[in-house]
Amino acid sequence: MSGKRRVAITGIGLVTPAGIGTAATWEALLAGRSGIAPIRTFDASGFPVRIGAEVKGFDPGRWIEDQKLLKLANRAHGFALAAAEEALQDAGIRPTAETASRWGCVVGTGIVGKAFDELAATHAECVSEGALDTDRLFSSHRMGDPVTFCRTQACAGVGLLLRRFGIRGYASSVHTACASGGQALGTALKVIRRGMADRMLAGGFDCMLNPVGLSSFILLGALSPDNETPERASRPFDATRNGFVLGEGAGVLVLEEWTAARRRGARIYAELAGDGNSLSSYRITDSHPSGDGPIQAMRAALADAGATAETVDYINAHGTSTLMNDRSECAAIRAVFGPSVSGVAVSSTKSVMGHLISAAGAVEAAVCALAIHHSLLPVNANLTTPDPDCDLDFVSERARPRRVRVALSNSFGFGGSNSCLVFRHPEEVGA
Amino acid sequence: MSGRILVTGLGGICAAGTGPEQIWDALAAGRSAVGPIRDWNASAWPAPVAAGIPDLDPRALVEDRKLHKLLRRTDLFGLYAAARAIDASGLLAFRAGLDPAAAETFNDRSGVYVGPGGGAYQNQYEFFPALTAAHGDLVAFGREMSAVVNPMFLLRSLPNNVLCHIGIRHGFKGPNACVTNHAVSGALALLEAAWALRDGEADRAVAVGHDAPIEPENVLYYQRLGLLSGAAVRPFDADRDGTVLGEGAGAMVLETAETAAARGAPVLGEFLGGGCASEGEGLLSIRADGDGPARAMGLALTDAGLRAAEVGLIVAHGNATRHSDVSEAAAIRRVFGPAPPPVTGFKWSIGHLLAGSGALEAALGLLALRRGLVPGVATLRTLDPACAPLPVSPAPQAPRSDVVLTLSRGFGGIGVALLFRGLTGSVS
Repeated sequence: MSGKRRVAITGIGLVTPAGIGTAATWEALLAGRSGIAPIRTFDASGFPVRIGAEVKGFDPGRWIEDQKLLKLANRAHGFALAAAEEALQDAGIRPTAETASRWGCVVGTGIVGKAFDELAATHAECVSEGALDTDRLFSSHRMGDPVTFCRTQACAGVGLLLRRFGIRGYASSVHTACASGGQALGTALKVIRRGMADRMLAGGFDCMLNPVGLSSFILLGALSPDNETPERASRPFDATRNGFVLGEGAGVLVLEEWTAARRRGARIYAELAGDGNSLSSYRITDSHPSGDGPIQAMRAALADAGATAETVDYINAHGTSTLMNDRSECAAIRAVFGPSVSGVAVSSTKSVMGHLISAAGAVEAAVCALAIHHSLLPVNANLTTPDPDCDLDFVSERARPRRVRVALSNSFGFGGSNSCLVFRHPEEVGA
Repeated sequence: MSGRILVTGLGGICAAGTGPEQIWDALAAGRSAVGPIRDWNASAWPAPVAAGIPDLDPRALVEDRKLHKLLRRTDLFGLYAAARAIDASGLLAFRAGLDPAAAETFNDRSGVYVGPGGGAYQNQYEFFPALTAAHGDLVAFGREMSAVVNPMFLLRSLPNNVLCHIGIRHGFKGPNACVTNHAVSGALALLEAAWALRDGEADRAVAVGHDAPIEPENVLYYQRLGLLSGAAVRPFDADRDGTVLGEGAGAMVLETAETAAARGAPVLGEFLGGGCASEGEGLLSIRADGDGPARAMGLALTDAGLRAAEVGLIVAHGNATRHSDVSEAAAIRRVFGPAPPPVTGFKWSIGHLLAGSGALEAALGLLALRRGLVPGVATLRTLDPACAPLPVSPAPQAPRSDVVLTLSRGFGGIGVALLFRGLTGSVS
């Protein structure tokens, strides 16, 4: 451990279904106030699933005055720009011409494609009998718009963040489905450790709450169909759970090399202390019932942080509210923690804000940092019928005061990538 | 802890061949794989050419036919190149001789790093029949969609498909990353893999970059942005008028020297260092002074502990767009002074593989060192005075040392430089 550069979390920005801004989100997570409701951003009345975790009342112009830049941003990019602005304001530091090359940026990016209205326009303009007509595509004045092209690049989000905040160091966007946000933070942690940057803007953003994204999860049967009781629909670890609720949003953190953060007297929420990363190599969407895959990620993360299971006080679970994930994750936690599992409190904040897909890992990392900072554990809402296969100490009913020495955040993605991040209370960091 | 990282397997596929050696031979012979677009009638388009892989037989690339309905064209290339690199390394034969517990540890210590591309537009066309059936009515679309759209749509859309299926197919379960960063994806996947091994996160890793950008809508955008040539890729030439899209993949197996020596692995080269830097000026902007690529190359040299004079060959990005080449030449002069080592590029022959380019070009760069020959840029006629002086030539050159630098540049003004040493034989 001694040779490693440490990494401090000094800024947090959140745009989530629970609230716009870190304070609003955190308050809703503590109160268990659901961000899940009937879908309003488009007419979902024909779909078998009509509920979602939408970001409500979002206006990117309130955060970013550069209209030219916003023109190139899709809804998810808007979330990312706003969350990044809040994180930098919160950290009280920004890249300057002198420091720009020592700032980096890594973001977890969603599955990129055209927005539904753009796809519908393509369909109206140049589709014959269900297939693309390339002659009509080529001759149409409406097609081939560079703005659409820019918005649909996988690296568009990182490109906008670099430009907006003047970052000129290491820059990357990553995608491992629902583990993207966690893997982005893990990558950023290592960039600082390796000395490639001193400060990083890191996080994740996503918006699949559109007709295509919603359809794609409905087709897989992954979503809760509880249209009549949206606020109860996401109930991770409850015996009656029946799928996840699709959400949207962004979480961005400012990470700083520890001594640089201390030197400028920054407020440090927590140390980002460890990253564990594994591949299940089992099936595309299924998790191994034994927890194989996530087990290795959690063990590697604890080892990377130089932490033991006994010092972990809180786990922000992946907890999607699907039978398979929840049972597999509980098995993994039991295997890693052994007898000390009784000492660790667990909650899934997806119970309140739904599943933010590529943003989930980043937003939930922020939740761990806030739990450490406030000595408060957010609630796992809607857990009223215990599942004997999920017999952990869940933070059910209400938020729980607790000083957190070490916290873990799990994120597991389709495709089998598993991310586990370890956070440490700043007072627990040795001199 | 900072042990050496060795290259023990290469894989590649593109329009010029189905293996790195075959592709290298085409380059050395001055053969370009650029030709008319065949997948649709593009004869009236201003840029009717591409370096597409002809007569693609998916089963020749991925034997498991059940998998085909879950894979995009780009994924076939990535899985193929990765499998060839793993085969060449002999890793699986070595694992087969281990007892079950040791094999399990082997898998947990084997990483997978992928830079995927492709599929942004064509994949969504799966929804066209549903849109047609709905006659523009979203309520009807929601009601009918399930009966019309392939339920596997999302799984086929996952950018991390190759990562997932390399894991399932080869049993690797270690650290992993999936870099979705346009044309630096493959190079950055290689760099993250190498750094992970250097930091002791794994003992070995396969890194692959793959892409299949030759689809009508994508070509239309590149064309409208003025990025495509209608005829040929002429890097650094006074008459260059854009790039040509290519498709395929490149892959490398990397191992720590300790584990490679323990199994007597074949050794092709050594990873020396890398760097990544951005310009922060926008998605499509490029600084004229070469600031980003110059800093990426500087970081790579520092990471490798090398002086610029020790580099024997530069494999340039050389995509033959007006702005990219001139700024790249400026960057090379900034780092290497007025007399850089021989410079070449491969896109004139294989096209621009975007996410696949960095990984394949790094593999080809290593082969150039092993053969002691820098292939010429056959399409170069007159060096652009704005790029001069630059030691790039249509004729073959000799590398100045056994170190190759490859440069990749992508949208967002992001540049990645990689340094490898060419080696022959096996470690002991």
